[in-house]
Amino acid sequence: MATEPRQRQGASRRTEAPRRSEASRRGAEQHRIGLGDRSRGWLRHHIEVARQALIRLWSTPLASLMTLAVLAIALALPGFIFTALKNVEQLTAGLDTDPHISLYLDVSLSDERIDSFSRELLLRDDLASVELISRDKGLEDFKAYTRFDDLLEFFDTNPLPAVITLIPRDDDPAQLQVLQQKMAALPEVEEARLDLEWVRRLGAFMALAERSAWVLGGLLALTVLLVVGNTVRMTIESRRDEIQVSKLVGATDAWVRRPFLYSGVWFGTFGALLAWLLAQLALALISEPVQALAVLYLNGYVVQGLGPVESLTLLLSGILLGLGGAWIAVGRHLRDIEPG
Amino acid sequence: MTAIRFSNVGKRYPNGHDALVGLNFTLESGELAFLTGHSGAGKSTLLKLVMLMERPSRGGVWVGDRDLTKLPRKQIPFHRREIGVVFQNHQLLFDRSVFDNVALPLQISGYDPADAARRVRAALDKVGLLSREKLNPITLSSGEQQRVGIARAIVHKPKLLLADEPTGNLDPELSEDIMHLFEQFNSIGTTVLIASHDLSLINRLRHRVLHLQGGRLVADGY
Repeated sequence: MATEPRQRQGASRRTEAPRRSEASRRGAEQHRIGLGDRSRGWLRHHIEVARQALIRLWSTPLASLMTLAVLAIALALPGFIFTALKNVEQLTAGLDTDPHISLYLDVSLSDERIDSFSRELLLRDDLASVELISRDKGLEDFKAYTRFDDLLEFFDTNPLPAVITLIPRDDDPAQLQVLQQKMAALPEVEEARLDLEWVRRLGAFMALAERSAWVLGGLLALTVLLVVGNTVRMTIESRRDEIQVSKLVGATDAWVRRPFLYSGVWFGTFGALLAWLLAQLALALISEPVQALAVLYLNGYVVQGLGPVESLTLLLSGILLGLGGAWIAVGRHLRDIEPG
Repeated sequence: MTAIRFSNVGKRYPNGHDALVGLNFTLESGELAFLTGHSGAGKSTLLKLVMLMERPSRGGVWVGDRDLTKLPRKQIPFHRREIGVVFQNHQLLFDRSVFDNVALPLQISGYDPADAARRVRAALDKVGLLSREKLNPITLSSGEQQRVGIARAIVHKPKLLLADEPTGNLDPELSEDIMHLFEQFNSIGTTVLIASHDLSLINRLRHRVLHLQGGRLVADGY
């Protein structure tokens, strides 16, 4: 029997219900949706869902702000620590990390003798550089860079020795030790100090700090996941009816999941933006003492805030963690909510 | 052409209760049939099997030429989109307007909003609630709420319309109105299956009746 071409399954119709066959031949008009319509619908749906998730976020401003504050702090801390570390790294990168030997000369030596002694050292071929800091220059530096210049008033004469800084050609630690002992044995030298240890210690300290920052960052990332996950879980609970009805009228899992994932993304995004502000504020607060510290080592150092790369990393981390947290909550709870 | 076919279907719930036992019946396309029986006779379970809200423990269920026992979980939403369902407790959402409630199936299927609006208004017009589209369904009477539920069930013009106690909470006059609505949809070719225990109303309407008792089909006729 003929059926309307739109009737999808209208290939053959049995004739057992003659009372209704007249009606059924006309057939209910079936809806077919084209592919173009469907992809436009998909995009439109995404925009609409994102918009509604945003509106929902602001519909409970206090609760949302509390959640965002927790997220912001959890995201700002690693941002702050990594940026602080970057600053320290750049500071120390500006420092000469070649091993030095500092020779503190006998205070009783005359300036002429000191001068000629440093010239003698220049002739040695195991030294790459020789720099003399005279007693007067030492006094000037001491006055300029420390707060202890009053101390000098207790002395009638300049108490500081002349210092010669050597950079050996060979930076093998054993060779350095040998050289240091040779220098210490020279009669003009009161004390020869190998300035290597502190660079090493600084390096080790930096490695430790960086590792700790990663561990802390990991823990705080977990915090963000859990906070977003819990918030989204509560949103899912409050929209149980809607989920059930949607599933009954043919919503796919993806369709049901989408609004909650967008909630997670918004939480992550706004959390990261707030975190960025917090981190910048914290960096501004420590900027002054760091600047003062930097002056002691090298001039012209400016504390660096979160640059474009760090800012983008922070934002992306926030978004991904928000999405991840929502995904976990959705995966755990959405399947439980079935109609019936 | 069959709309629904049950072949030796059994449904046992995890608690050991047999909701359906050896159920055989066929509903042809364009038919209207009532499903009766006491509460607990298996009416709801039968409808749930058609909607794939439950899976049968044994036997086979076909909707059109689709074997539901072989339908993977991922395909369930697309199966449900071809069916309209009306519930006793109408399952309306009170956080949105009548219009948005009816539009939900179309949004889910990805209709163009302008097209969807046209179809929503047509569906509301059909149940006589066009003037109520902007209201929140909570402000409507229970008869009107049920009609919103019906509008939502038919807005995408499904080939198959199921109703689970659609007149359960309504007085006799409203109940009859609702049943006449179903007859109207049936008259344009929609297959309709209505679970109801309102026997006096059913007898007056003179359609095919499937009578369930203890999960078994004990009578099938006009």
